[in-house]
Amino acid sequence: MTDALWSLITAPWALEPDTLLVAAVLALAAALLGEVVWRTLRWPRMLGYVLVGTALALTGGGPSGHEPALRLAIDGALALLLFEAGVRLNLRWLVRNPWLLASSVAEAALAGIAVWIVLRSFAITPGVAAPLAIISTAVSPAVMLRVVGELRAAGQVTERLLALAALNTLYAVLAMKLFSAGLLLSDPGTWLDALSPVLFSFFGSILVGAALGEGLALIARRLDLRDENAMVLLLAAVLLALVVAKTLQLSALLVPLLAGIWLRNRSQRPWVWPRHFGSAGGVLVLVMFVAVGSAWRPEALEASIGVAAALVLARTVAKSLAVLTLARPSGLGIGQALCLGAALLPMSGTAWVLGLDFAARHPTSGAQMMPVLLAALALLELAAPLIVMACLRVAGEIDVQRKGKQP
Amino acid sequence: MSLETFATSKAFTLGVELELQIVGRHDYDLAPGAADLLRLTSRRKLAADVKPEITSSMIELSTGVCERHRDVITQLHEVRDALVHDAARLNLHLCGGGTHAFQDWSRRRIFDTPRFRQVSELYGYLSKQFTVFGQHVHIGCISPDQALWLLHAMSRFVPHVIALSASSPFVQGTDTGFQSARLNSVYAFPLSGRAPFTLTWQEFGVYFEKMRRTGVVESMKDFYWDIRPKPEFGTIEIRVMDTPLTVERAAAIAAYLQCVARWLVLERPFEPQEDDYLAYTYNRFQACRFGLDGVVVDPTTAEHRPLRELIAQTIKDVELHAIELRAETGLALLRDALVAPDGSDATWLRNAQAHEQYLPEVVRQQCLRFEGA
Repeated sequence: MTDALWSLITAPWALEPDTLLVAAVLALAAALLGEVVWRTLRWPRMLGYVLVGTALALTGGGPSGHEPALRLAIDGALALLLFEAGVRLNLRWLVRNPWLLASSVAEAALAGIAVWIVLRSFAITPGVAAPLAIISTAVSPAVMLRVVGELRAAGQVTERLLALAALNTLYAVLAMKLFSAGLLLSDPGTWLDALSPVLFSFFGSILVGAALGEGLALIARRLDLRDENAMVLLLAAVLLALVVAKTLQLSALLVPLLAGIWLRNRSQRPWVWPRHFGSAGGVLVLVMFVAVGSAWRPEALEASIGVAAALVLARTVAKSLAVLTLARPSGLGIGQALCLGAALLPMSGTAWVLGLDFAARHPTSGAQMMPVLLAALALLELAAPLIVMACLRVAGEIDVQRKGKQP
Repeated sequence: MSLETFATSKAFTLGVELELQIVGRHDYDLAPGAADLLRLTSRRKLAADVKPEITSSMIELSTGVCERHRDVITQLHEVRDALVHDAARLNLHLCGGGTHAFQDWSRRRIFDTPRFRQVSELYGYLSKQFTVFGQHVHIGCISPDQALWLLHAMSRFVPHVIALSASSPFVQGTDTGFQSARLNSVYAFPLSGRAPFTLTWQEFGVYFEKMRRTGVVESMKDFYWDIRPKPEFGTIEIRVMDTPLTVERAAAIAAYLQCVARWLVLERPFEPQEDDYLAYTYNRFQACRFGLDGVVVDPTTAEHRPLRELIAQTIKDVELHAIELRAETGLALLRDALVAPDGSDATWLRNAQAHEQYLPEVVRQQCLRFEGA
C-alpha cells in the first residue's frame, strides 16, 4: 500500500494514463505546503512549491524538460510572468534616470564576464562557458514577481529589482539568439542560413509581441480588468500569442516580455490587473515552480556543485559590485544598493528554458552545459527567494512599507 | 508642558504647508518613497523646507515666511520642480488632492514605534483611514490677543476655503458625493473642531491649563482644531483646506486668507462672538458636501446664501487690501474659478473619472496637473 502510494508520488513526468493523477497529487502537495510555509514562517508560498519539487528531485523523479505537456505548462507560466515583468518595465524611467540604465548594463555585463572567467578557470571549454555566462546574466523575473507580490513589497529596491530582472532577461534572451547564430556562422558558407532565422526570430518576436500588446490594450481599454471574464480573455490572448510564437519558431520568452514592455510603454495609461491573470494563471505558475524545483538529479549535482557554486558566487559579486558602484548617481542609498545587489540572485524557469533550447540546438555543448546549469538552479532554488525576502526586509520594504499617520 | 509664550511676528506674513501624495508610476497607488525623495532633495538648496511625515507615502513641504503672494508662488514652484525632478528619477510621481482616490486603508500599516502603536491603539481604524493630505496656512500676528481675535473672526471664512480647496471626492475607490471627504476623517477625532471662544491669551491660558490638568492634552499639538494658534511661530494656522491639485491654487488660497485677515484686522467689519458658531458645523458641512454650490447660513441675520456668491462678495470687500498686499493675481485665479464649469478641483477630478472610468488614470492626470506638465 505504501509502496503503491510512494510510486504514485515519485512516478516520472510522462504522458501516461496516470499523469493527471500525479499532477493532481503534486499540485495538492505544493498548494498545501505553500500554505504551511506561509502561515508558519511567513515565507512566500512559492517556496512550498519549490520544496515539493526538491523532494521530487531527491527521489530522482524530476522531469527532463522535454515532456510536451509539461513544457507547454512551463512556457505558459513563463509567458504570463514575463508579460507581467514587461508591464512593470517603464522605459521612460531609464530615460529620466540614465544611471539606472547604466547600472543595468553594467550588472549584466560584469556578471557575464565574471562567470566566464570563473568557468574558464575550471577549464570549461569556451563553447560551454559562453552560453552559461550569458544565461547567468539573467535574474528570474518569475521569482522576483512572486516574492514581491506575495509579500506586498514596495519601494525603490523592489522597483529596481523588477526593472533590472526584466532588463537582464531581455539581454540574455537576445544574447543567446546572437550566440546561437554565431556558432552556426563560424561554419563558412552558411552565414545566410545562420543569420536569417535569427533575424526572423528577432523581428518576428517584436512584431508578435507588439501585436499582442496592442490586442491586450484594446481589451483592457474596453473591459474592466477586475472582471473574471476579461481576465480569461487576456490569458487566452497571451497563450494564443505563445502558440503563434512556437509555431513560427519565434522566442517563447521574447514575445510575452516584449508584449508587456510594448503595452506599458505605448501610452502612459496605467494597467493594473490581478497578478498572474487570476487563478488560472496561478495554477500554471505553481506547476512551473514545482517542475523547475525538480529539474536536477542528485548524482549530477554532486559532480558539478563546485563549479556551480563558483558560478553563483562570481555572478552575485559582479552584480553587487556594479549596483553598488552606481548607487549614488542612480539615486540609491548604500544600504539599499547592498540589498539590491544581494537580491539579484534567483535563477529559475527562464534560465532552464534558455538552457534547454540551447541544448536542443547544440546537443554536444548542451550536454556539457546542462549539468552545471541544473546544479546552479538547484543551489539557488530555495536559497534565492529566501535571500530576496531577507533583502527586502532589511531594506524596510515589507510590512512597514505603508505607515499609518497620526492626525 | 504648559502653554508656550506667543512669539510675535510681523502682521499678515504668510507661510504655506502642503502635504503631498507620493504615488508609484506602475499602479498609481500610494508608494513609500518619502525617505528616498528626501535623500535626493537634501542635496539641493531650496528656500522652502521639505519634511517627512509619519506615513512614508507622504511628504510635506513648507515655505519660509513670505510677505507676498508672489514669494509664495516662487518658493512653491522652485520646491515643486525640484521634488518632481527627483521623484521622476525614482519612478515616482507627486500629486495634490485631499485623499488618494483608491488606496485601501486596511492595507496601511502603522509605523512600528511605541508612540504610533499607542496612537493606533487609541484611535483604532481612525488612525489608518487618516491617510489624508491637507494644506495649512499660517498668518502672522503681532500679539497673542490679536491672534485669538483673528482666529474667531476668521471662522466665518472657514467654509469659503474648504469650498475653494475641496479636492477629495473619492475615498477607497468610491465617489463619496462630497467635494471634500477628507474633513470627514478629521472630524472623527475627539479634539477636532473649533477652538473655545476666548479672546485674550490669558483666558486661553486658563482654558489650556484646565484641559492639561484633565490629562487629555499635553501641548497645543494635541488639538486638531480647524484654526489654532501656533505660539511657537506667532501665527494662527488655518488647517481646513485639502491640498489643492496645483500649487497655483494653493498660493491663491493663501493670498485670499491673507487679504481677509488684513481686512478683518484693519477694518473690523464685525466683532467675533460666540453665536458665530451656532451654524458653524452646518456651514462647514455644506462646504464639504457641496463645495462652491453649498448654501451657508449667516448666524446673525439667518440669511441663507450660496458660497459662490459670498466668496465673490468677499473678493470685492478685500480688494483694496489685495492691492496693498499685491495679491491681485491670486484672487483673480479664484474669481475665475468661481465661474468656470470645473472651477473646483473636486469637480475636475469627477469629470476626469467620468471620462476615463478608471481611477488609476485619474490619479495619473492628477499628477500631471500638479507637476505643471
